[in-house]
Parts: sequence; structure tokens; C-alpha cells
Amino acid sequence: MIYLDNAATTPMDSEINASLQEYMRDQFANSGAVYGIGLDAKNKIEEATETITDALGIPSSHKLVFTSGGTESNNLFIKGLCFPDKKAAYLGLEHPSVSETLQSFKAYGNEPLSLLEFNNEGQLNLSCLSILKEKRIRLLCLSHVNNELGTINDPIPLVPRLEKEAPQTRLFLDGVQAVGKIKLDKSMWSGLDGYSLSAHKFHGPKGIGLLIYNSKLNLNPQLHGGKQQLGVRAGTLPVPLIMSLAQSIKLAIERQQETQEHLQKLHNCLVDGLKKLEMPILFNSSTEELQSSGIVNFSFPPVEGEVMLHHLEKEEIYVGMGSACSAHSKEPSKILMGMGLTIEEARCSLRVSFARNNTMSEVEKFLHAFADAYQKLLPTFIKKPVER
Amino acid sequence: MNEQRTILVRYDEIGLKGRNRKYFEKILLKNIKRSLPADKEISYRVPRGRILIDLSKSVADEVADRLKLIPGIASYSVGISVNPDFDEMAALGVKWIEPLFKPGGELKFCVRTRRSAKTFPQTSPEINFEVGSRIMSQLSPKGLVVNIKESEFTLEIEIGNNETIVFDNRHPGLCGLPVGSSGNVLCLLSGGIDSPVAAYLMACRGCRVHFVFFDNQPFLGRGGYEKVLKLSKIINRFQGRAKLFVVPFQDIQVAIRDHCREENRVVLYRRMMYRIADEIAKQYEMPGLVTGESLGQVASQTLENLAAVTCVTSMNVFRPLIGMNKERIIKLAKEIETYEVSIEPQPDCCSVFMPASPVTRGKIHILENDEEKFSLIDLQEEALKNMETIKVDFL
Repeated sequence: MIYLDNAATTPMDSEINASLQEYMRDQFANSGAVYGIGLDAKNKIEEATETITDALGIPSSHKLVFTSGGTESNNLFIKGLCFPDKKAAYLGLEHPSVSETLQSFKAYGNEPLSLLEFNNEGQLNLSCLSILKEKRIRLLCLSHVNNELGTINDPIPLVPRLEKEAPQTRLFLDGVQAVGKIKLDKSMWSGLDGYSLSAHKFHGPKGIGLLIYNSKLNLNPQLHGGKQQLGVRAGTLPVPLIMSLAQSIKLAIERQQETQEHLQKLHNCLVDGLKKLEMPILFNSSTEELQSSGIVNFSFPPVEGEVMLHHLEKEEIYVGMGSACSAHSKEPSKILMGMGLTIEEARCSLRVSFARNNTMSEVEKFLHAFADAYQKLLPTFIKKPVER
Repeated sequence: MNEQRTILVRYDEIGLKGRNRKYFEKILLKNIKRSLPADKEISYRVPRGRILIDLSKSVADEVADRLKLIPGIASYSVGISVNPDFDEMAALGVKWIEPLFKPGGELKFCVRTRRSAKTFPQTSPEINFEVGSRIMSQLSPKGLVVNIKESEFTLEIEIGNNETIVFDNRHPGLCGLPVGSSGNVLCLLSGGIDSPVAAYLMACRGCRVHFVFFDNQPFLGRGGYEKVLKLSKIINRFQGRAKLFVVPFQDIQVAIRDHCREENRVVLYRRMMYRIADEIAKQYEMPGLVTGESLGQVASQTLENLAAVTCVTSMNVFRPLIGMNKERIIKLAKEIETYEVSIEPQPDCCSVFMPASPVTRGKIHILENDEEKFSLIDLQEEALKNMETIKVDFL
């Protein structure tokens, strides 16, 4: 099996998996209980928090909230800060857990501001920031790394300009696709009010994520119950998963440089290989500097992405896509359409996303299988006049 | 407390059968025995016109639930053996009726007695009166009234030579004929809402319905296949022993897509499906095909297009939904619990294969002309050769 859909999820690291089995067996106590083993569990959470804080360089001005994953982290921060009537803006190319959350405010007469016209290959053009002040925008939401394209919104140049041009606007980055794939500059936290991540995107378990936020902000809880996590997110804490999350973050950060170099090689091999195929391939993701090397998104009209995906599946090669070919038409990817692709280009696209365990030979095999499937499928997708 | 229960099963149309009645009864009894747990000490009696199932109280609910899924049963009631004593009979009636009262409303009831022990001192009407008046004396202040014609609760009493049984209100069965009494048929199952309902209706007419699914995994993925496995399993609850044939269809679709007139594609796909289904049905001695077509529902289901697909087979083609509107079909799909699976999002045909505007009145000679443009026989044989056969009982 060749798994090239690591932006969807990643296989668990064997070391993390082995530890998690142990944690599951041993760390069953409720961290809210006052007897000894409860206190031990609480200590484990504190240790995990410290590991994460150290690994990511999170300053004391920020708090950590453990959640069930990226979607919950994004909902908690956006709703917790803006629901129902505070104005928010977004680029318009974000993951649905950001865009749909913002869209849900429309029912309360609060339409989010789309900055799509200021999109430059998936990045926010910083010249637009003064609009945020004009429109009295409370929160700006962006993807740190776009989930379909891999383009990066770098907070380092953004933060000082935002502070200058729209000081009342808070900044939230969806970091789900960033951790372990690109370098996280520790200086970014100073102007960053919220950041989300999810363990399964970097070889950890599913069901555990994190929201890191500026402790000066008062987030309204979305789950009510016990007073766990200072009342921001009620619910018994999953101690084993939190320990695994910490371990996954630590490993991802330790290996980040090495991973990024490896992903860059895979990325170059794939892009060069696709270019050599002498097919009309259109690259939707950028090959510039501000691009995660983990994701390559490309179109190959007229062959449909979903059909290509299933043909590759037959060869046990798994890739992703953001669009579908159903005759009962699902909408083509909003992100690709937002980038200005035609419906056909959006439908005829695939997303290949790498992780550290992928190899060059897998990329070569993918290229072969892709070329074969393309040649096989092409005649079916070319409209031919039928003899009467 | 009596731990023994007797379930009385009443037939539906079998009662109308003349000399074939024994045959139908035998099949129904076999179906009941096969669908009830074998390890739970259940015994069966077949007095004229009914089936009595003796079992312990602990399994009565489970068995009653299973009887709801067996075609051919008109209704069933759960009974308790009592002493031939009117007070005891009336006490049971009070116990069952009392929880049914709605605040402020009246409840219509009656007592019906069947007395096969002619030595019993009272006649059936006398027993009805004795038991009914005892119940009334306790429950009439709560709103109980006697109404024989529109009874909402009927207490049934069976007085035999060896025992007296009092039965709770009747529970409706699926009616129809017992599965297997009509024979085997093959249903073209798509994964949509309609075809599972068609299959169910034919099962209720005594058919054992087998399924054929035309799969296109290279273009559509495995989702459709998984969905059809689930659907065939749900329908098989009504019958058992069904087979599911999965036919790889991608090469045929590609050939039609590449060589034939665009507007004719859908009818041509369906003609190929019918031909293949015809072959399978003949091979397995199933004298009929079943489809979920409903007249005029989509372009391929016009009178002309139905004729254009039917003419490729010499088999009987049964279309039990032909005169139903979508709303009624959906209601039935919800009742038989296939609806939730049918509406799971899954492409049933890739847009690459769909024509921009499909023909609504296909001309058979033009369709035949299209079919000369690709190797129909070879592709059909290849698809049948690569067909997967699944026993649905083992899913």
C-alpha cells in the first residue's frame, strides 16, 4: 500500500502507538479525583502541558485547552470569541471547520467578511489589512497551511502589520496542517491570539486536539458541565490521549527540520515527474517559498479526479481530493473554485500529501500508476462525435 | 405466575387457498421455524387454519418481534394458559387493558371466544358475556365501552379440551404469502430508494428475492458495493437465503460511452443490465426479474424506454412500484428500514457516463444499431465470468 493522503490523516507512529497502549492501560484514573491516582493523572496532564509548551515555545501569556481535535478547537475559539454578533473576517479558502463556523453566524445577522479578492495564490495579500479596521473586524481567521493547497500564511510579517493597521483585530490561525510540516517560529505567539492543532495530522492518535489562546481573551465555553480546564471546555480529560498528543508534538518538532527536507525531496520528485509526463497538468499549489512541501495539488482535465482516485485505489495507492464527480453533483472544491479554477479544473484535480514515512520509490510508483491510468482514462473523457 | 406462553399465528391469504392450502401452510411453518431461535425450546402445533407456538415467557418478546418480519402472517397474539375460570380470564383482560387508557378518552373493547371443547358448560356468547361483564365492572368508570365492530382491544379466549388460553390484542403481521411459495426472482438492486422496496414487495408475494448489483468500482469506488451489501442484508431479514450477484460493469459502460450515441447511453446501460440479469436468472432457475422502476419517474422510465429495456429479455419483469409516487415509495422504504441506507451519499453513476440530455422515447432499431458498435457478447460474457456471488445469510 502507498498512502499519499497525509493531509487527511497520518498513520500512527509505532513508538507513539506503543506508548499509548500502555497509557490506556495504566492511566485510567479521573484527573479530577482527589485521591492519589487521580492526582497522578493530573500530574501527567501537567507534564504533558509542559512538554507541549516547551516544544512549541508557547509563552506564559497563552493558555492550552485540550479538545477532541481541530474542528472542535476552531469552533471553540471562533464561537467562544465572536458568537453571535462580533464581526469576523476570513480569506475564504479555509477548512470548513473555520468557514462553516463563521457562516453559521449568518443566522444571527452577522455575515463574515470574505477577503477572497485579496487572495494571492492562496495567501492573504497584506495590503488589505486596513479594511479590517474600517469594518471593525474583531477576528481574522486564516489557515496557517491551507489543507487543500498547502499554501502558507506566515504570521511573522502579518502580526506587526496587523497590530499597526488594525490593532483591534485578533488573529486566529488554523495550524492543523502546519505542525511537523513547516517550521513554527516561536516568535509568532506574541501577536497570535488563537492557534489550533490535531494529533492525528502528525502521527498521533485521533480524537485529541489542542487550542492555544491568548489568556487575556475571555472565551465563552461551548461545552458546559464540570469545571475542567478552567471551565472553558467541560468534560473528563482523556489523560492517555493528552500524553500521546504531547509525545506526538515533541517528536514532530524534534524531527521537523529533517521531515521538511525529506518532504521537499518528495515534493520536487513529484512535481518534476509530473512535468516530465508531457500531459497538460496544471499545478494548483504553488512551487514558491511560501508553500508547504507536504502538499501538491494539481489538475489534469478532462480526466476527473475522483475517477483517477479510484483507479489508483485499485493499485493500492491512496490520494486525496477536494472535489467529487458524482452525477448527483456534489459541488466541486470551494477552495479550488475560490482560487479561480473552472469547474472542470476543480473536478479534475487531486491532492497528494506526504508524511515523513513516504519514500522516493513510492512517488515513482505513483507517477507510473498515474500516467497509466491517465492514458487509459483519457479516451473515455474526450467527447467524440458518434457516427450515426 | 405462569411462565409458559402460547403465540397464536393467523395466516393471511393461505386461508383462501383451496387444495394447495397444505402446501402454503407447510412453507409458512418452515419459514417460521427457520427464523426463530433453534436453541430455545420452542414447540409448534398446527390445528386447522392457525399455528400455535409454545414457548417460555423469557423468549416470547424476541419471538414476537421476529414474527413481524415473516410474510404470510396476518396477525399474531401472545396468550397465557389459564384455568377455565371466568374471574381468572377477566383478571388478565383487566391487566392488559388498563395501561391502554388515554386520559379522558374512551376505549372500545370486546371479548371473542372460540370453544372447541364442546363439553364446556357455557356457549361462546355466554363466555363472552361472563368475562366481558367482569372486565366492564372494573374498567367502565375509566371509559371502557363494549364495541364489537370497532374494537380497539379484543380479548380472545380459546377453550380446548386440554387447556384454556387467553390472548392479548392482535399484532398485525406483514400479510401476503410465505416466502418460497411463489418461487425465486432476481431483483436489480441499485443502492437507491426504490429497488429495495420493490424487492420487499415481491418477498411479500411469496418470492425469494435474490439480488444483482452492477458495480463500477474503478470509477465510483467501493461505496456503492458496501451500500448494496447493507441493503440486501436488511431485505433478507424478511426471507433469508438470498444470493447477491455483483457484476463488474465498468468495461460495458466505457464501451457504450465511447461508441454509442450520447443520448441513448442510459437506456443502453439498462439493456445490458437486463441481458446480464436474464442470464443469471436462467442459470439459477429464477423465472422473473424485479426492478424498482416507477412510470415516468426519470427519463429511463417512460413507457417507450421501459419497452426498450424489457424487449431484451424473455423473462417476466415485475415492477411492483410502477404506479406508485415517490412519497409512497419513501414511506415504505422507511417502514422496512432501507431508507436511511439508501440516502447515504454515494455516486451511482459517474458524470462521465451520463448524457447531457438522455433520450426519453428510445427507438429500438436505433438502440440496436448502437449495440452493433461494440462487442456486446464478449463484454457480457466477461462481466459474467468475473461476477462475485455472495450468500447474504453469511454477511
